[in-house]
Amino acid sequence: MAGIWIIAETREQAFELLGAGRSLAPGMGAALTAVVAAGSASPEECIARGADEVLLLAELSPGEPYGAHLPVLEQEARAASPGVILFSAAARGKELAARLAARLGAGLCSACTALSFDKGSGSVLMERIAYGGAAIQKLTSSAAPVVVTVPPRSFAPAEAADGRQGRTRELPAPPPSAVKIVDRKPREKAAKDIAEARVIVCAGRGFDKKEDLALARELADALGGELGATRPLTEELHWLPEDLCIGLSGVQVKPELYVGLGVSGQVQHMTGVRGARVVCAVNKDENAPIFALSDFGIVGNLYEVVPKIIEAMRK
Amino acid sequence: MPVVIACFKWVVDEAYIRRGAGGALDFSSVDYKIGEYDRNAIEEAVRLRDAGGGGSVIGVTVGAPESAKGVKDALSRGMDRAIFVSDASFRDLEPSQTAAILAEVIRTHIPQYDLVACGEGSSDLYAQQVGPRLAELLGIPCVCFVQKLSLEGGRLRAERRVEDGVEVVEAPLPALVTVLPDINTPRIPGVKDTLMAGKKPVTTVKREELTGTFGGVLKTAAMTASSLERTGEKLAADAAGIARFVDSLRKSGVIR
Ligand SMILES: Cc1cc2nc3c(=O)[nH]c(=O)nc-3n(C[C@H](O)[C@H](O)[C@H](O)COP(=O)(O)OP(=O)(O)OC[C@H]3O[C@@H](n4cnc5c(N)ncnc54)[C@H](O)[C@@H]3O)c2cc1C
Ligand SMILES: Nc1ncnc2c1ncn2[C@@H]1O[C@H](COP(=O)(O)O)[C@@H](O)[C@H]1O
Repeated sequence: MAGIWIIAETREQAFELLGAGRSLAPGMGAALTAVVAAGSASPEECIARGADEVLLLAELSPGEPYGAHLPVLEQEARAASPGVILFSAAARGKELAARLAARLGAGLCSACTALSFDKGSGSVLMERIAYGGAAIQKLTSSAAPVVVTVPPRSFAPAEAADGRQGRTRELPAPPPSAVKIVDRKPREKAAKDIAEARVIVCAGRGFDKKEDLALARELADALGGELGATRPLTEELHWLPEDLCIGLSGVQVKPELYVGLGVSGQVQHMTGVRGARVVCAVNKDENAPIFALSDFGIVGNLYEVVPKIIEAMRK
Repeated sequence: MPVVIACFKWVVDEAYIRRGAGGALDFSSVDYKIGEYDRNAIEEAVRLRDAGGGGSVIGVTVGAPESAKGVKDALSRGMDRAIFVSDASFRDLEPSQTAAILAEVIRTHIPQYDLVACGEGSSDLYAQQVGPRLAELLGIPCVCFVQKLSLEGGRLRAERRVEDGVEVVEAPLPALVTVLPDINTPRIPGVKDTLMAGKKPVTTVKREELTGTFGGVLKTAAMTASSLERTGEKLAADAAGIARFVDSLRKSGVIR
């Protein structure tokens, strides 16, 4: 049976994708190949975590984007004909996965949340979210290869084992890419990882200005939790770092408690909170969709209600 | 004077999808809309045309015949003309099929263009594939997740957002970009825009005029409604409501 490929940009991605790949490999009876960027996971690490073969992507010059690897990947994939190719659904991976799929004439399941192999039918079974979170789409593929991108942290990273053997090969340097990077601006990272937070206070557009987020932070502190946000706050207003965006295009969270303040409750946001144990909200519009998607909530102005909640908690 | 192609999709407004019997999707009270992020793609195309002192914006959409309404809506957002690739079988296409159809139509109907603008993802599938796939099929450079864009001297300069920051990139035209929602603020068409839209030229391309086979690769085995509903107890913003809220928090065991 054709092999399973994972294509990773970072060490973290490599370990997680190896974890996903290993869950498929026994059923498919397939070998696992890790294609990794220079300076990410080492061949030894990949082999210890289940890779039978490691293909090292050439180091890129500072002006070359990650996508420059495409022609080399296409050539290698045509030669090896893997059955499944896994990418991490990060910006660069998503773009490269779609471009490689187009070149190979392959199907691509984007942001796949469940992945398995059905021996009986010989097909790969996949699940993803559609209609902003209102639906679950189940897909199957019996054609090879099928390309899959998985949202970061949806699969357990592969564990290392001693005494595993594997081959390593260096891939050739890619031809010059038409797209050139002329400058890079690093960005502010959130101090805490909200995917793991036990309590999340989520700020929405109901806040009038950035300074007012202090109120959300105060409630988060009182609850011993972290601050999260809806996409407009992180991506449009840039009031908070992007890794605090919860939802379809952000992070999937699973806290004990989620409190939405001035959050309307659109499905693209709420789909990210489906794993929360308790969901509650403060919104001044009694018809806001978030109320139906919460366990309980207060209809009222957050500027008046939140200080009172904090006060009542102190009693 | 750039010629910019804006790709947009007429989609179900997901806010009106209900969970039907047995977890089936209930579309009985849905409305339709232009994909959220496709409005940013259209706006950016129009902005680049105006910044370039002329040129034109051609909107292209693939869909079932009833998407005609979406074509008119899109034209009210400042585009010059539209190409509507319409067939009853174009309702539930896979991104690979959509990209293949768009590629053939662009190749056969738009001999010269500078830029193709797509949304970051469609509102219904949000596969984030059609843009980069289309770029490959057209054989042009591709820059995804763009938050700032300009065209100059046959090249584009774009700020593209990735996990670890921003990459400022340049590429020769023609090229394809996918745009993020903060690249601009899409206009809200007025009555005059809607009236004018009715007079703008629309080319309808039928399935029979295309030569590709456009077969799908993946199979959708099921599409079921997810259940996000909870008990939804609404409390008033008075002392009793606040007390009950805090009490519920305590009962949930998350705070002491
Ligand atoms: C493909 C796609 C992907 C998306 N992905 C995401 C995602 O990952 N995450 C995400 O969050 N969004 C996402 N969105 C956007 C999403 O659809 C909504 O637009 C967004 O979640 C709305 O954010 P909001 O609730 O903060 O703002 P709004 O919808 O504007 O709601 C603000 C709410 O605040 C209330 N309010 C106002 N003032 C007060 C006050 N003083 N006190 C109390 N309440 C007040 C209002 O009643 C209103 O309900 C996506 C959209 C698309 C199309
Ligand atoms: N049927 C379609 N017709 C025209 N453009 C489309 C269509 N579907 C998707 N697109 C474009 O491709 C982008 C990405 O779509 P998707 O890959 O489905 O997330 C959208 O934002 C649109 O710009």
